[in-house]
Amino acid sequence: MTYSFAPRILTYRQTEKNSLDNIDLYIIETLSKDARTSFRQISKELNVSPDTIIERYNALQEKGIIRGSTIILNPKEIGYNAMAVFMIDVSPVEGSRQGLDSSSILETLIKMRNIIVATKTVGDHDLLAIGVVKNFQHLFAVRNEIVAIPGVKDMEVSFWSEITELSPKYFVI
Amino acid sequence: MGKDVFEQSCALVGLYIESTTNLSRQKDQEMGTKLDIVDLTVIRALQKDARTSFAAIAKSCDVSVDTISKRYKKIENAGIARGTTVLLNPKSFGCDCVASFGIRADFSHIEEIIQFLKKMPDIVFSTQTMGRHSIFAVAIVKNVTKLSQVKEIIKGHPMVREITTSIWVNDILLCPENFDLQTNGEK
Repeated sequence: MTYSFAPRILTYRQTEKNSLDNIDLYIIETLSKDARTSFRQISKELNVSPDTIIERYNALQEKGIIRGSTIILNPKEIGYNAMAVFMIDVSPVEGSRQGLDSSSILETLIKMRNIIVATKTVGDHDLLAIGVVKNFQHLFAVRNEIVAIPGVKDMEVSFWSEITELSPKYFVI
Repeated sequence: MGKDVFEQSCALVGLYIESTTNLSRQKDQEMGTKLDIVDLTVIRALQKDARTSFAAIAKSCDVSVDTISKRYKKIENAGIARGTTVLLNPKSFGCDCVASFGIRADFSHIEEIIQFLKKMPDIVFSTQTMGRHSIFAVAIVKNVTKLSQVKEIIKGHPMVREITTSIWVNDILLCPENFDLQTNGEK
């Protein structure tokens, strides 16, 4: 297999920043395995009241430690056979003339169908977007759509087809 | 002359085979994904918030709660969904820096390098790609100093020819609901 998802995306640990206790960590770990686990069940396992768990969960969300929850889809089952990363260079001159900077392009990108992650980057390129595509024709269509955005100067594409799951989990910050 | 005709007909046959296999594959895909509007509603609702109660989804679809939980089980059993998870903020766990690497390597050693990357705890995602780079990898690390160390380690692999690093700046946007599920399913 040519892909790998390291299982330890994050080591759930206590840091000065988050001040999590064992109950919080247990909630995080349980929910990252199955976000639909009932609070009642977690409370039973921990021997505390369900209200405590609900309170803790809400607090974790308020603090921004948990940003949300989602279902993990297998893209192959819904007809998406490949993923691609688009590394985009923004034209500075043309962009500033038309009032188009990388932020506005980023906004356009994330509204596009099939783009699941988009970010500004520091390094080789200005923007990076990850998208899912059905096949070759579709890849070209998506590429052309990105190139057509005003202000996009250059783009490099790499794509892969060994995908087993599609979850923003691996890309969140 | 005769050779030309032969070649042409070969090409035509090739095209024909290609188009028919494409067709049959499309059919297979459609067979594999029998999603109706209720399934899609379930997926969409759970994409936004995996803890949405089945009762709420049932209400919005005007069907019974039992139907929804059956549909959810169907979606899971069919392998369309692999479960649910919470989205965590790595910053809360002391990881401030997300970066992606594009790696060019000797073709005969790509698999070896992937295995090498897999063993590195800071790399959360790595895959073989076609196009500009041979490998694409994403790393989540504590800070830029650590990132530079990770890069040096990868660069230290004898078969890595070239590595480009891009640090992802804060506003990373996620849009998992950008899929057109509709086009694959029957209404």
